[in-house]
Amino acid sequence: MKIEDLVDIPGGFTTNTTWDEEFDASKRSFLRAAAILAAGLMFPQAKAESNLQHSGTGEKVLLVIVGGVRRAETFSRDGLENIPHLAGDLFSQSLFYPHVRNEGVTAHFNAISSILTGNWQRVDDWGKFAPTTPTLFEQVRKGLGIDRKETWVVASNKALTNLIGASSVSDFGPAYGANVVFPKQLMLIAVEEALRQGRTGNMADRGKVEAELESAMEGSNYEGLGWNVFDAADQLDPRVAETIRTAIAGFVRSGGATSGDELTFFMTREIMRKFAPKVLVVAFSDVEAAHFGSYALHLAGIRTADRLAYQLWQEVQANPDYRGKTTMCILPEFGRDPDGSSTNGFFNHRANEDSTRDTWMMVTGSAVEKPQVIERPIRHIDLCPTLTNLLGCRSLESQGTLLAELRG
Amino acid sequence: MKNDSANGTDKLPQELQQAVNDGLLKRFPLTFLPFVNQQLRQWEFLFPNERQSVQRLLFYVAKMSPQESAELFKDILRLEDRMQLRRTKFSDEEQTVQNSSLLARSPLFQEWRRAVQAVFDEADRYAIRSQALKKPGNRLVLLDIPRALPLDKSRTWRRWQGIGKTVDLDLSDPRSSRRPMEFLLGGIESEVARSEGILRAVQDRPDASPVSAWVLDAGRDLVESILPQSDPTSPRCVLLSYARLDGFRQSFSHEMNTMRKDLADADAVFDRLRTVNVRAWCPPEVVNEPAIREFMRSLYLSGNGAVIFNNSFVEWGASEAIRRARPMFLAARFGARAKPKAFTGVAVFDNPDEINPTPAVDDVSGSAVDAEILALYVWLAASRYPEYQSSTVCVCLAESVSQAYVIAPDTFDLDTRNGPVTLAGLQDSLCRWVA
Repeated sequence: MKIEDLVDIPGGFTTNTTWDEEFDASKRSFLRAAAILAAGLMFPQAKAESNLQHSGTGEKVLLVIVGGVRRAETFSRDGLENIPHLAGDLFSQSLFYPHVRNEGVTAHFNAISSILTGNWQRVDDWGKFAPTTPTLFEQVRKGLGIDRKETWVVASNKALTNLIGASSVSDFGPAYGANVVFPKQLMLIAVEEALRQGRTGNMADRGKVEAELESAMEGSNYEGLGWNVFDAADQLDPRVAETIRTAIAGFVRSGGATSGDELTFFMTREIMRKFAPKVLVVAFSDVEAAHFGSYALHLAGIRTADRLAYQLWQEVQANPDYRGKTTMCILPEFGRDPDGSSTNGFFNHRANEDSTRDTWMMVTGSAVEKPQVIERPIRHIDLCPTLTNLLGCRSLESQGTLLAELRG
Repeated sequence: MKNDSANGTDKLPQELQQAVNDGLLKRFPLTFLPFVNQQLRQWEFLFPNERQSVQRLLFYVAKMSPQESAELFKDILRLEDRMQLRRTKFSDEEQTVQNSSLLARSPLFQEWRRAVQAVFDEADRYAIRSQALKKPGNRLVLLDIPRALPLDKSRTWRRWQGIGKTVDLDLSDPRSSRRPMEFLLGGIESEVARSEGILRAVQDRPDASPVSAWVLDAGRDLVESILPQSDPTSPRCVLLSYARLDGFRQSFSHEMNTMRKDLADADAVFDRLRTVNVRAWCPPEVVNEPAIREFMRSLYLSGNGAVIFNNSFVEWGASEAIRRARPMFLAARFGARAKPKAFTGVAVFDNPDEINPTPAVDDVSGSAVDAEILALYVWLAASRYPEYQSSTVCVCLAESVSQAYVIAPDTFDLDTRNGPVTLAGLQDSLCRWVA
């Protein structure tokens, strides 16, 4: 199938939703659920299917999550211009799922923790509570007996907290959790500190920004960053500090764009080079400029995520720790609300509509035997059991279903 | 600061107050109470349309027997039980962030929303049967993407999907040097020509009130062109200028950013902001209008970028004005916003120039992209309501390509047979429509 065949879908804005339309939407949901059930029968629960050794497979996973983006701005006829790397460079070598449903809460913390646990999470939207079932990190660390340095989350999104790295389940929990860093928080603290100290001029000078960012990192307020790295309570592990210093230098001296996602990219790449983790989750969020109503900045965020995801893939190809044994998955957390919705369209992501719930996923790398488009609708929660299986770890029972197209 | 968001329940209409005193609210489900209580408490800050809506609902329930009202609410009560809301900290006084979060993350949320909508629909049907809803008069939504924002003629209207038609404009009116929107709204009075503007036509309607006409401006020029024609402290229409509200916006977001550091959660921040005295921050055209002051407070509290970007302010302000006040005439002009500054663009502060002294640079092409979709959003917001579905003209000017997009009933008379439509011709047609 060519990408042009994929994108020829009807678009349009929502006007008044009538009862008939509501009813029709329910019917569609039912039919979709039936299709998912049928798929589940063909590909039974992950736990039943897994027959793996506990030593692991040597595979690595890079999971790139891209905030809320609609099909209209990505895999649609008009949207392709925003994703030249996904559509042009990666599509032909990828497994592509055009219909990936978020059937849970379409808010950031719950969406990402559902992806990471294989179960729909309904905890606090602002990350005050940990997911209620074990995350991919805990399952892999406990299952394979691997060190904390093998699992990382690097995220731009301010709605996440370090509780995204481990569940509240007593047999698992933080002892098996991931390192979690929020590079953008470093920038926010640097800006606040410069403002407080009357050094705002420094934030306009590329040469001095590096010092401000380092100062924010080395300040006594490590907890203020909201990170959780190697269980360090009050100061950064020296290996991590060095990693971040290098990332900051790359970010500031590159002469390129300076958004939160750019810093997240530099940090991720440096973590790949220093620690080569087995499971690395990156959450980009420049697209969330949409919440402030700038469509142009939202589109710029999509183009940035497209470019940075591709640059991460280039790093995979260039890095011997990753080349030939890495699978990269790219997917949005959800879509955004349709034009004309009572929730103000692309600004938000809370409408119970396909525009908000029906997204896509691209998988490329060693788990892909044959590039193809899988028309069967899947769900966000199918990814976690699939990845644990891919990594050679026995999956826990979950609401998610194994995606058989990925070679485990 | 002193609370200026007064409790307005003592000013309720007598019949409504009596119904409340008789225990009417005890018949309502828990999830209705935050909304109803808040509306009653803020009665003096509600627009006429909102008051009518609350009255329709309350009188509809009041005329029922207890058995009938229990039947009306039974689906909602059943869902509330299943959601176990009474075991949570669900506020029955105020619509809170925590309330929204509790509802939204419930698996029953969508079912609950449908059940609530069914109750409101039933109340509206009752109002129609009892002739409490009047037939809407002619309305006009006039949008402007100014010349400074460059548009691509071949793509400008593609989002409108053929719901209206493109009209070529002649924007060079030899009789006036005024900008197109200033001319359309205010008319001209000179030695060579005289014309009444649209605002005058609306204000002269017998059913007009001070909230019948709204003007939202991403800058200040449009509003300031209207102010001299009216009493600046008591204009005959609602005038909201992003630039003239700089002080309000900056003080408000400064409060917001400061509070976040010492308050436990979003609801505590909102509680404080709901009671901050905003009078000192208001420009003259807003300060003496309690409903408009409170409109601004709730607009800034409801997010959607209104405190951050001028065009978001215009779109969200217009959408909220339409939802809450149902004006006969709404004019909205978009404008240029600044480019995000290097490194500091991640931080959303009340005054970006304070954080980064690099001079602000207008992002005209990005602003044009924003305005293109946000103009459509204003019309889509209007078209959700029955008042705007059959008797409303929407005109969106795209000055840089000398075109307008026009959505209108067949009865709207705009002569396009003789080439581009002049501003005088457009003004004449629009004035006749809304007069």
